[in-house]
Amino acid sequence: MSGFIYRWFLADRPANSKVSELETSWDIRQSLAKLRNYQPTTKDVCHYGFLCSVLLFVFVAFPAPWLLKLFVYALFGLLFLIPITSQFFFNALPIFTWLALYFTSSYFSAGSRPPITVKVLPAIETILYGDNLSDILATSTNSFYDILAWIPYGLFHFGAPFVVAAILFVFGPPTILQGYAFAFGYMNLFGVITQNIFPAAPPWYKIMYGLNSAHYGMHGSPGGLARIDKLLHINIYTQGFSNSSVIFGAFPSLHSGCATMEALFFSYCFPRLRPLFIAYVCWLWWSTMYLTHHYFVDLMLGSVLSYTIFQYTRYTHLPVVDTDLFCRWSYGAIEKFNIAKNDPLSTEPSDVENVPLTTMNFATPTPPSELSDDDDVVASRSASPYIFDRTTSSATSNTSLDLQGEATPRAVKPRFD
Amino acid sequence: MMRLSAFQFPKTFLGFLPLYIAVEIVLGITIFNKCSGVYGILAIFTGHPLDFMQGVSYLWSILTLIVYVQGMYEILKPTLLTFSQILVFYSIDTVLTCFFTLWFTNVWFTEEAASDQSGAATASTKSKRGEDRASQGATEAYEYGMTMLITWVTLVFRLYFNFILASFVKELLSNPKFMIDQDDVAQDLKNKPLYKRWWIKCQKQSYKLCRRMLA
Repeated sequence: MSGFIYRWFLADRPANSKVSELETSWDIRQSLAKLRNYQPTTKDVCHYGFLCSVLLFVFVAFPAPWLLKLFVYALFGLLFLIPITSQFFFNALPIFTWLALYFTSSYFSAGSRPPITVKVLPAIETILYGDNLSDILATSTNSFYDILAWIPYGLFHFGAPFVVAAILFVFGPPTILQGYAFAFGYMNLFGVITQNIFPAAPPWYKIMYGLNSAHYGMHGSPGGLARIDKLLHINIYTQGFSNSSVIFGAFPSLHSGCATMEALFFSYCFPRLRPLFIAYVCWLWWSTMYLTHHYFVDLMLGSVLSYTIFQYTRYTHLPVVDTDLFCRWSYGAIEKFNIAKNDPLSTEPSDVENVPLTTMNFATPTPPSELSDDDDVVASRSASPYIFDRTTSSATSNTSLDLQGEATPRAVKPRFD
Repeated sequence: MMRLSAFQFPKTFLGFLPLYIAVEIVLGITIFNKCSGVYGILAIFTGHPLDFMQGVSYLWSILTLIVYVQGMYEILKPTLLTFSQILVFYSIDTVLTCFFTLWFTNVWFTEEAASDQSGAATASTKSKRGEDRASQGATEAYEYGMTMLITWVTLVFRLYFNFILASFVKELLSNPKFMIDQDDVAQDLKNKPLYKRWWIKCQKQSYKLCRRMLA
């Protein structure tokens, strides 16, 4: 077994590479020493400040004995302090915060919740996308489509985050899992906050009750998943959705958000398989609308939320992927994306191609002098093709057809021939 | 035609991010939205009624989806031809979106008024739920306000995104690094299928238009 692991995962490991190593210490003093020397940045203050305020709200709002709540928070505090558990649990703090808020959501009293909208989503859907796309897709149903829709919506959605995390951990660059936990947690957290602030009825509501106003005493509906219950002779979805805690949490769709986030991370790590991941997201989008659980606009908000958070994470947290390397143990160093260096519009002053056109003096071209490495000479030489580029006859060297007769950008290109 | 070269375009996204990241986000968000065309056109197969204007909007969405997707592959190594085409399509798309928004807003409110009349009988059951429960549902004014707010926010964002793209293309035009050597394209064309020749012709026209307006 160890031979197999070595051959597959550790054979390419660069000598003395420590980046893929995990923390194995149980010593709390180590974490406390780190904490004493810790200098928080503004970003850290915003990040932890926001998560702590949500956790404090959950601590107060969750209807459980105070002692029990204290015990759970203390247990997590301990897990954060022990180095071996901290590396996983502390980095997953946004995920725990989301879960805490999600499970508290069902205990908010009806009186303190914002009013439920039933018309906004179908109205927006028609205004922005021409029609109710869920209606379009759910017009004709059959058992085959039911099963096809159930697979990503009712099955994959719940297992995929764990599978993606495990694959990213093994085959992605070290520290990518931290980025995944951050992005996945925040996306869901913002999603649940929006669902609570803006409760909206899903498409099945319009099918069952029309545009009549809703109240929090209503039971949820499994929508198209009721057909799966019937087909498989089970009662899981009818029971689960009837007593769901977020009946009016259609906007945004976290099914869509999760699928997009998983696809984005996988596309980032395994770019060659991108079409497969895109297909999965399209499949899940279709299934949510077919099962009358979401409007297209819900899916859009979920995906846009995921995409924006992913881009932020990618440019600030994620390690650069080397597609030639096999797994996390093959990495010798962790590189971060350099925003300024990768800017296609960035201008290196040393590169003569980047001399801004406006600063070129086209009116007084100086004849080329002898070749020299002097910078001044380069500048004067770069203006020399001006004479040729301005001529309209036999302009074989001037291929910028539409630029003829004007001061062309080519004029600044150096010619050494 | 009005020249936009003197217009002060945004140089950064939201005041701090470089333009290429902005373009990546703008194109990503727009591509997500344009997928609506693919799902909408499925009405042909599902048997849902599809009127002319919906059909036009869905087909247009699919076309723009293809145009925008090209840009995603070129973010770090942009070419003027592709991004000129994207900008031209995006600008036409903005105008069409405003038109479709008006059209479909009218469709929705006409439909809603019709369903309200037919649903008049349910008003009595509504009051039976009692004052407390009735207050848990949003009022007409709230529903209407939120609908208008979301519609306006998306339109304003769309307009801002359009300026971001224009700014990016303007930067490309002013940077000699991205200058186009048209012979490369012309020589390549002879043995290409018709749709590719047409596509590149469209890109060239877009490029010329962008140059005239922005450079």
